[in-house]
Amino acid sequence: MPRTLSLKIGISGVRGIVGESLTPQLVTSFGAAFGTHCGMGPVLVGTDSRPSYEMVKHAVIAGLLSVGCTPVDVGILPVPSLQMHVRATGANGAVCISASHNPIEWNAVKFIGPDGIILRPDRADEVTDLYHQGVFPRVTSHEIAEEREDHTAIERHRETVLAAVDADVIRARGFRVAVDCCNGGASVATPAFLRALGCDVVELYTDPTLPFPHHPEPLPGNIGDLCRTVRESGADLGFAQDADADRLAIVNERGEALGEDCTVTLAIHDALQRQPGPVVVNISTSRMVDDVAAAHGVTVHRTRVGEINVVERLLQTGAAIGGEGNGGVIVPAINPCRDSFVAMALVLEALARDGGTMSELRARVPTYAIVREHVGCAARYVATSLRKIARLFDDRRIDRTDGIKVLWEDRWLLVRPSNTEPVLRVEAEAPTEDEAHALVLEALETLCPTR
Amino acid sequence: MRQLKMGTSWVRGVVGDALTPELAVNLACAMGTWCESEPVVVGRDTRRSSVMLRSAVLSGLISAGCEAIDLGVAPTPLVSFAVREMGAAGGIVVTGSHNDARWNALKFLGPDGALLNAVKSEELLDIYHASAYERAPWDRLRRVAMAPGIEERYLEHLLACLDVEGIGAQRFRAAVDYCNGASPATARPFFEALGCKIVALNADPTGEFAHSPAPTATNMRQLATLIGSVDVDFGVALNVDGDRVGFVTQAGEPLSEEHTLPLAALSRLQRRPGLVVTNLSTSRMVDAVARIHGQQVLRAAVGEGYVMDRGLTENAVLAGEGSGGVGMLPATMTFDGLLTVGLVMEQMAREQKPLAELAARLPAHTMRKGELACAPDVVYRALEGYRKRFAGDLLDCSDGVRVEWPDAWLHARASNTEPLLRIIVEADRPERASELFDESMRYARRVAGGYGGN
Repeated sequence: MPRTLSLKIGISGVRGIVGESLTPQLVTSFGAAFGTHCGMGPVLVGTDSRPSYEMVKHAVIAGLLSVGCTPVDVGILPVPSLQMHVRATGANGAVCISASHNPIEWNAVKFIGPDGIILRPDRADEVTDLYHQGVFPRVTSHEIAEEREDHTAIERHRETVLAAVDADVIRARGFRVAVDCCNGGASVATPAFLRALGCDVVELYTDPTLPFPHHPEPLPGNIGDLCRTVRESGADLGFAQDADADRLAIVNERGEALGEDCTVTLAIHDALQRQPGPVVVNISTSRMVDDVAAAHGVTVHRTRVGEINVVERLLQTGAAIGGEGNGGVIVPAINPCRDSFVAMALVLEALARDGGTMSELRARVPTYAIVREHVGCAARYVATSLRKIARLFDDRRIDRTDGIKVLWEDRWLLVRPSNTEPVLRVEAEAPTEDEAHALVLEALETLCPTR
Repeated sequence: MRQLKMGTSWVRGVVGDALTPELAVNLACAMGTWCESEPVVVGRDTRRSSVMLRSAVLSGLISAGCEAIDLGVAPTPLVSFAVREMGAAGGIVVTGSHNDARWNALKFLGPDGALLNAVKSEELLDIYHASAYERAPWDRLRRVAMAPGIEERYLEHLLACLDVEGIGAQRFRAAVDYCNGASPATARPFFEALGCKIVALNADPTGEFAHSPAPTATNMRQLATLIGSVDVDFGVALNVDGDRVGFVTQAGEPLSEEHTLPLAALSRLQRRPGLVVTNLSTSRMVDAVARIHGQQVLRAAVGEGYVMDRGLTENAVLAGEGSGGVGMLPATMTFDGLLTVGLVMEQMAREQKPLAELAARLPAHTMRKGELACAPDVVYRALEGYRKRFAGDLLDCSDGVRVEWPDAWLHARASNTEPLLRIIVEADRPERASELFDESMRYARRVAGGYGGN
C-alpha cells in the first residue's frame, strides 16, 4: 500500500492537516510566494472559523509582509464575501484560509486573483514554482508595509446580493428559515442576510468561536440537526452552509434534506424561467440540470470538476448561471464564484414567486438518485484504474472531460481523481437508488477486485 | 556575507537578508517546544519589520501548542515582568534594540523573565538545529491572548522599588528622548507618578528612528540641543526597547553611556549595599562607587545574558554594562531603563544635588573604544596574538583577552553582533590610554593585513 500524504498542493491551493503537514513554515513561504506573485500592494487575508486559523493567518501575514505586500486582515467571513471584496477594493489578490468542507483538523490556503476568482491553474503553478524556487524578493526593513484591518466585506457582499435580486418579493412572504452555519465563516453573516430579506431566522450552529458541531460538508447525513430544527420550529425551509459558505444545501418544510444537487438545479430552474440561456455545470453535477435545460431548449456546458473550471467557462460562454452539484451556485454578474448567499436569495425568490411550499417547488424538477463514493488511490495508480473502467464499458459512450464518465440514456457513472485528496471519486446517477448503487458497486469491484 | 548572528539569548540579523519570516517561525517553534507548549509572552518594538516578525513568532508559538500572550508594542523589561507576573514559561521580544533600523532580532526570555543564559540558549538552538518541533493538533491550538492591566501592575512594581515621595517632592523636570521606540506608553505614567514633568522628544512610535538608537553621547546630541532651549533638570535617552539609558546634564552636556551604571550604583548601594556585576569592557568608575560602600565588583563576559545571569547566581544587588543597560536585582530580571532613571532621580533627591554634580564625583578615567572589521578567523588570530603578548600581565581570557594594570586595562574581543574585533582601553591618564589604544589597534591592523582582512 503506497503511503498517502495529508498534504495536497494543487489548483485548490495548499491543503493539509494541522500539526502534521500544514506547518507555519510551509504557510509562511507560500505567503511570500503569493505576495511575490501579487507584487507590492494590498492583499486581503480572510478566514473561516477553524481553531487553527490564527496560526495560519499570522504565517500568511508574515510571508506577505516580508515581500512588501500590505496584508489587509478582513477577519472571519464567508469566502464569497472575500472574493467580492477583492474586486471591490482593487486589492492585488486575497488569501482565503479555509479547508472548505474538509473536517476540522484540516486547513488550507487558497489564492484569489485581483478579479476575485481563484487563481487559474497557470497562475497557481507560478505561485507553486515561486515557492519551490525558495528565493523571495524580500524587502528591507524600511519597505515593510503596515498591516491593515477592514471589516466591511460582509456588509458590502450583503448589499450587493440584495440589490441583484427581487428582495421585496421575498420580504413579502415573511419566510421562517432555519440555518445551520456549522459554526463556520458565515455564522454572523447569514442570519443578518436573511433578516434583511424579511425572514424570521431560526439559528442553529451560528457561533464561530465554537468547533464544528458536525462534519462541515452539507450532505444529508451531516445535517440531521437542521432537519429536526425545521420540523420543530415549523420553518418554511432550512439552509445548511459549509464552513466557508460557498456551498448550500436545502431542507424542505417537512424537514427532509433535498440533496445538495437540488440547489444548483432549483437556481437554474428559476433563472431559466425568467431568462433562457446556456448554463454551465461540472461533469459530476446531476442530470436534473439537463432535463431543466432541455425543457427550456438551452445548452448545458459541462466542465472538469473544480470551481475555477466552471467560472472560466461561464465567462467564456457568457452564460448567466452555473454551478456544481455539490451545492455551489455561480451567477457571474453578481459574484464570479460559488456563493451560498446568491443561492439562498435565488431559492427564496423562486419559492416566493412559486407561491407554494419548498417540497412543491422541489417537485417541479425531476428526481434522480445519486450515489457518491470514493476509494483510496495514490497518483501512480490513477491511470491504470481509469483504463480498467474504460475497458469495462468500452461499448458505451464515454466522456473524458475529467476521468471517465460513462453515459446511458437515463443514467451515468463517473470515476475521476480528486483534486483535494489522494482518492478516486466514484459517482453514479440513475432513476432509482438501487440502480445508482449497482453502477457504483460495479466500478468499485473493478477497481478493487479483492474487496 | 549574509548578516545573521545567533548569540546567547538572541538571534539578530538584517531584515530582508538573513532574518526572514521563515527563520522567525522556526525559532518560535523551537521556543514553543522549549517552553513545553506552556504560555509564552510576546512583545515587539516599533520597527516596521517587527510587525512582520511578530506575526511569524505568533504563528510558530501557536503551532507548538503555546498560548501566545501578545503585549503588542512593549519594552523588553515589561515583557520580562509579564513573564513572571503571569507565570508564563518564557518570552520572546521582537526588537533590534540598539541596532540601527535595518536590523532586527528575537530576544528569548526564560520563565524567570531573564534572557536565556548560555546553557538554556544552547538547548533552544539544539531544538532549532534538529527541527525537533512540537506540532500541536488542531484541538490543542490556543488563541492569542492579551494581558489587560499588565502595564499598570508593572508601573506599581517599579514604583514599589523607589522612594516615590522623596522623588516627587523634587518636582523634577526632564527631557526624554524615546528614539521613536516602545517606551512612551509605560514611561508617561511612570514619570507622572514620580511628579516629574516631561518634555518628550521622538515619542512617535513610527519605527523610523530620528537617530541611531544606542544612548551614546553622539546619539544624544539632539536631546542636548533641546535642553539648551527648555528648562529641565536633566535629560534621558531611552533606546528602542527601553532597556538602556543615557543621561544629559542640566547644562546640556551628554554624559557617556558608561556613566549610567556608576550613577545607578551610587543610588542602589546607598539604599542596599551588596555585590555589583558588570562586564569586562565596562569602565572602572563603578569600582570606585563600590569601594565607597565597601562592596565588590565582579566582571562577566560581555552581554546582558551573561551579566544578569551572573548577578542572579551571585545574589548581586545591581548588574549592568557600560552600554547604559542596568538591572536592579532582584526587582528586575532584565536591564530596565525606567527603573535606572528612577534610581538616579532618587539619588539626586537624596543628596539634593544636580546630575552634573553626581557625575563629577565619579573618577575621570579616559576611555578609548575602537573596532576593526575583519573575518572571524582574523579576529581569533589577533586575540591569540594579544594573549601571547601580554602573557606576563594579569590576564582574563573568559571573553577575548582582558589585561589589567594598576592604572589601566585593555579589552580585545570579538563582537557579538558583527564580524568585528573590538578594542577598549581605559586609563587614569589620557596619554596612557592613547598609547595603549594606538598600539593595540596598530597590532590588530597588522594581523588583519597579514591575513587578508580589510
